[in-house]
Amino acid sequence: MPRQCYRNCYAGLIAAFTMLPVHAGAAPVIEGVVAETGLRYWEWNSQGVLFRLTQRLPDQTRAFFLARGFDAESAELVATQCVFQSMFRNTGSKGSGAVDIDLDDWVVEANDERSRLLTRGKWEAILESSGLQPAAMIAFTWSLLPTRQSYQPDDYNWGMTSYGLAPGMKFNLGFTWRHNGQLREGMLRGVECPPDIHPEPGSVQ
Amino acid sequence: MKTMSVLAFFQILLLGLLLSVGSPRPAAAQHQVQQLYQVPGTPEAPDFALNDIDGGVHTLSEYRGKVVLINFWATWCPPCREEMPAMQRAWQQLREEDVVFLAVDVGEDEDTIFRFTADYPVDFPLLMDIDSSVIQKWPVRGLPTTFIIDKQGRITYRAIGARDWDAAGLLDRIRALK
Repeated sequence: MPRQCYRNCYAGLIAAFTMLPVHAGAAPVIEGVVAETGLRYWEWNSQGVLFRLTQRLPDQTRAFFLARGFDAESAELVATQCVFQSMFRNTGSKGSGAVDIDLDDWVVEANDERSRLLTRGKWEAILESSGLQPAAMIAFTWSLLPTRQSYQPDDYNWGMTSYGLAPGMKFNLGFTWRHNGQLREGMLRGVECPPDIHPEPGSVQ
Repeated sequence: MKTMSVLAFFQILLLGLLLSVGSPRPAAAQHQVQQLYQVPGTPEAPDFALNDIDGGVHTLSEYRGKVVLINFWATWCPPCREEMPAMQRAWQQLREEDVVFLAVDVGEDEDTIFRFTADYPVDFPLLMDIDSSVIQKWPVRGLPTTFIIDKQGRITYRAIGARDWDAAGLLDRIRALK
């Protein structure tokens, strides 16, 4: 009996070592669908960083900004620029140091062209002549993911990011961060801009 | 026998490791959010004078000599809403201990905030930075951001994003400043 167990344990160990690289070497990206809404998400969770993009339907974004003082034209302009709800978090352990991001360094690849995100400063320039009231612009600015931020362990932000692409377009997002000053990079492939559909009331939360 | 126990231990350890790699959990479940960042140099907190939703005026300087938690937030911000109940529970534990909580809403009026309190009832003052002039003087880039101010009026801790404010570890950090 002990000898049998020894053989089983040994075989189990070998099997475990054989399987481990398959899992550990897999891309740290999860794609999925939010069960409650049917909206798609892409999530990177590796190297002390959790970064998640969840589709926002243009109708959701229109409604959000119309309720905060946007006129219809400005709300439409923002809503159709491929907007995602975004979350960036430093998942490092205590004392592991800061993670710094600058969204202006991130690269969008679509249709063999490279571009940059529409960040706070770019949006402020775009909307400068729109005549929006200060309250509307304040809500808009703070609802976007910060362009630059320094995240200590457990720190995170939620906010919208926009990519200047038409509804339904697919793109790759190359993103970078600095951990204790060292440049790191990740990639989300095949991200799909939310389609401009008009779901029935109550079907999307 | 001892060798078998060691092998069995490593087998179980590896099995657990494999399961954890292959079964990603939702983001929110992956972390207990209880860490505060100790701000280097403890800079002086910028003073302000803001109305609360009941018409009262609060200045930060009037609370000199007390530990103050200042939370910058907005009603539409999901993590801001998420941490409000925990902040209320923390406030209930600390209010008799000379600790002050001030939640500074950015860009919204009293009607909007008042409606919010129907779903998220809180007892601590809700201040209004309607034109965002106060938040611009603080080192804030995203909501929510919370600061713990010591009795000398210095920024001691910072948290970006929601926290479990009534967790024992966080309450202890705040109490230690008294």
